[in-house]
Amino acid sequence: MKAEYANPFIRAASEVFAHETHLQMTRKGLELRKTPLPSRPVCIILGITGPIRGQVVYALDEDFAHTVARRMLPGKLPAEVKRLTNSAISEIANMITGKASIELAGEDKTIELTPPAVFTGERFHMDFLNIPTLSLSLISEAGSLEINIALTEGSS
Amino acid sequence: MRLKTALIIDDAAVMRMRLRDILEPHFDVVGEAEDGEQALSLYEACRPDFVTLDITMPKVDGITFLQNLLKSHPDAKVIIVSAVGQKQTVFKALTLGARDFVVKPFDPERVKTAANRLFSKA
Ligand SMILES: [Mg+2]
Repeated sequence: MKAEYANPFIRAASEVFAHETHLQMTRKGLELRKTPLPSRPVCIILGITGPIRGQVVYALDEDFAHTVARRMLPGKLPAEVKRLTNSAISEIANMITGKASIELAGEDKTIELTPPAVFTGERFHMDFLNIPTLSLSLISEAGSLEINIALTEGSS
Repeated sequence: MRLKTALIIDDAAVMRMRLRDILEPHFDVVGEAEDGEQALSLYEACRPDFVTLDITMPKVDGITFLQNLLKSHPDAKVIIVSAVGQKQTVFKALTLGARDFVVKPFDPERVKTAANRLFSKA
């Protein structure tokens, strides 16, 4: 696992959060783990294929997930925001991964993303890759986000 | 004057709602699809004047949908709205026949401009 994978995700997350939620995200920590298994109850899993491949697992608390959705949907009723919370955080994860992967692979390579999958609560003993993972934690005034980057270089 | 009609294709409900809010005062959003398979039958059913098309979607992705659509409707007007904004992907979509490519996250004005441009006579 290359430590330089972290910076594109930090930049992408800051930009996407600023644009979509007006929250300022700053880096709080970075550590190496054995798998991308998340340590927060709401997680979003995305696969990447191409010159860089693997999994990126985003994780956050339920309250923060609602806050993100509320901020992405100004003027919508609380019930609607609640219904769209999973969709909102999936799309945030999709945008961050899209932006970061351009930087990682270079403009002239093609990377494909799988549609994000959201899981909450107990359903965590599932298919996480067993590859060394960079675990990033980012913090804002409204909550924090964990990004577990389990990527390797390889031909597709 | 009749409003031009739009079909919104994106797997994220939050994005479909946002695109609808941006387009609706100026265009008539006649349908929403959440994957490329649903989109094709909806396109046939409502024959919109244009579509906004996401790329990363389950079942049938946006690029495959674009290829299929343009085979049967070579004049279909498609604006891609996607988080996968690499040069290669943009180039491929435009070469296939998409009219514009908006990268997420986007500003509402960018989407509105792209849609208006489809129908300007300049
Ligand atoms: Mg999508």
